[in-house]
Amino acid sequence: MSDSSDEDFNESYVMYRHRREWSDVHPIKQNDGPNPIVAIAYSERFLDVYDYFRAILATQEKSERALELTTDALRLNAANYTVWQYRREILHALKKNLYDELQYIAEVIEDNPKNYQVWHHRRVIVEWLNDASKELDLTEKILDLDAKNYHAWQHRQWAIETFNLFDNELAFIDKLIAADVRNNSAWNQRFFVLKHLGLTPETVQREIHYAMNRIRLIKNNESSWNFLKGLLEYGDFSISQFPDVETFTEELYNSGNRSPYLLAFLVDMYTEKTLHIYETNSYDDPEVYARKVVELCEMLANHYDTIRYKYWKYVIQKFNADKELAKVGPNEQNEEKDEEEHLVTREPEKVNGEAQ
Amino acid sequence: MNKRVHARYFSRFLNLLPHRLSCHDSTRATIGFFSVSGIDVLDSLDLLSEESKKNIIDWIYSLQVIPKEGGLKCGGFQGATTLNLLDPPENYSTDQYKWGHLAMTYTCIAVLVILGDDLSRVDRKAIIEGVASVQRDDGSFSASVEGNEFDMRFVYCASCICFMLNDWGNVDKKLMSQYILKSIRYDGGVSQHLENESHGGTTFCAIAALQLSDQMHLLNSKQMEKLKRWLLFRQDGGFQGRPNKPIDTCYSFWIGAALKIIDAFELSNFKENREYILSCQDTIVGGFSKWSGTSSDPFHTYFGLCGLSFLREPGLLEVQPCLNISMRAFERLKNLHKIWQLHSQMEVQLNIE
Ligand SMILES: [Zn+2]
Repeated sequence: MSDSSDEDFNESYVMYRHRREWSDVHPIKQNDGPNPIVAIAYSERFLDVYDYFRAILATQEKSERALELTTDALRLNAANYTVWQYRREILHALKKNLYDELQYIAEVIEDNPKNYQVWHHRRVIVEWLNDASKELDLTEKILDLDAKNYHAWQHRQWAIETFNLFDNELAFIDKLIAADVRNNSAWNQRFFVLKHLGLTPETVQREIHYAMNRIRLIKNNESSWNFLKGLLEYGDFSISQFPDVETFTEELYNSGNRSPYLLAFLVDMYTEKTLHIYETNSYDDPEVYARKVVELCEMLANHYDTIRYKYWKYVIQKFNADKELAKVGPNEQNEEKDEEEHLVTREPEKVNGEAQ
Repeated sequence: MNKRVHARYFSRFLNLLPHRLSCHDSTRATIGFFSVSGIDVLDSLDLLSEESKKNIIDWIYSLQVIPKEGGLKCGGFQGATTLNLLDPPENYSTDQYKWGHLAMTYTCIAVLVILGDDLSRVDRKAIIEGVASVQRDDGSFSASVEGNEFDMRFVYCASCICFMLNDWGNVDKKLMSQYILKSIRYDGGVSQHLENESHGGTTFCAIAALQLSDQMHLLNSKQMEKLKRWLLFRQDGGFQGRPNKPIDTCYSFWIGAALKIIDAFELSNFKENREYILSCQDTIVGGFSKWSGTSSDPFHTYFGLCGLSFLREPGLLEVQPCLNISMRAFERLKNLHKIWQLHSQMEVQLNIE
């Protein structure tokens, strides 16, 4: 939980109730009931500002002074969405210059980079202006302070997608990944951009090498491994369609690397191979790969990923069960799987088939 | 673990907060939820007198918005009394800005159930209409009729509300599930919104929403296995919310609950999880913090306790992972559902006769 303070008001600040230009307004107190819970020991200033805010809201005053009042109210609590909503109504009614508002909200965001309401306000103003030309700069500035700020990434993604700002995004991501190859947000953004630009076989090939090169730098990095795996699985590619990756991972293993992400990748790769051979009844010996799967899982469970001991034991069990299913062959297997459905839909003579 | 010290920590938050916490003024109801549900999980509701329980219930009801006939479908609960006016002059009204907020509605109803209220003063019909009215074309939900963002968090809150009130009204569950499925990322986790990064909190929201809406079967076995791995890979002692982020107490709940829901929690490492949560405990002042050595807050205290409850820590009530309330409160809710059902059956019979 973050703290708010009203220390950032300057010394010449005068309470609203002492301001002559506000003397015509009747402040309204909050009705917190006879026995409130989670009560807050509001400061004098907080009470003063919100008593006047309630008054202008209740009388629908949309004026310059009301706009200033919302600025003070938001400085005391930037999470009050009603104040933000009313501020927007005032901006609209007074036909204010929204570029000034963009400037203002940028400053508020810099002070409250993890607050949902401030980002929402930014987004509405950008939508009203239909101009997202400052969004990449703003989010870059915020990501400079915290390269994994979820709000900033979400806003950036929205701006890029809505206003088609994809052009330089890969270069921006490169810069972030170069600075911190473990920045999972940047990897995710890369996947997002690639998908929108179109994941052609050429792009997939290029990106696979991009990921492998980053894995060579730091092997024990879940983000780059997840990206690589995600690319391979995208659009139902199977790992075996990419002999480069197979060579790369086996070489890493043979050179002595035992990163759990590498081992997990190999588990998946050999699982795929085993099941594929069984399902297609090809001439290769599936048990060569099956033994590797079990061996790798044992290594993970007992040495290299012991925190997930129970999980890797489970993977072995699941693998053995899947293998038995694959041995039955794809046709019968489907029959077994869809047994219930088939009972209803299949023609009568097939209902008496072997799978029953 | 000293239960009393944590229960007293929560009861202090139920009383009075210092003014430096004014930035939480709009979401007082959620702090109320963490405190009340926390005291419940600690099996210490006896700490609250009957009178203070009644006061809490009455205050919660003062947050309820009863929409005007034919007006905005804004039923639900507000997070605080900011817009409730004390002795306003004639014609002064803030009613048009009083909107139910999904997160507040969910937590307020939960508090009422935990404290044994029968929900008879809850305007169930208006709330369900309100939930349906904030569903968007992409299947997601906004927090309120105006002025708020939309994302997976409110998909979750909407599901909790419909489940708790046992009525999905005009909510489009299928559309909702499509939004959830579209938010599954390449690494197996679920994002806050479509192609954002996978996140522990929003993965929980997505999985719980599928379960509450009885749509878990929409995940195929490949998605399920990837999800399982993504969740289990978050453990590094305690749990982290995203790959390559530091571990944090609250993810012992978010990740733990998601694992519970898909029946894979037993595959996680209990010992290390427990050690991490307990290392974040303040044994003197009470409460838990996100990181060892930092100061505690009600949010991390509540989720730390729920995390420990999943580990079957003695003295804690079992927690229902989807609704995030004690199993005892959950049973009470199921009883209310039975009573409602009986009533509506009786009404049907009376009409026939
Ligand atoms: Zn946390």
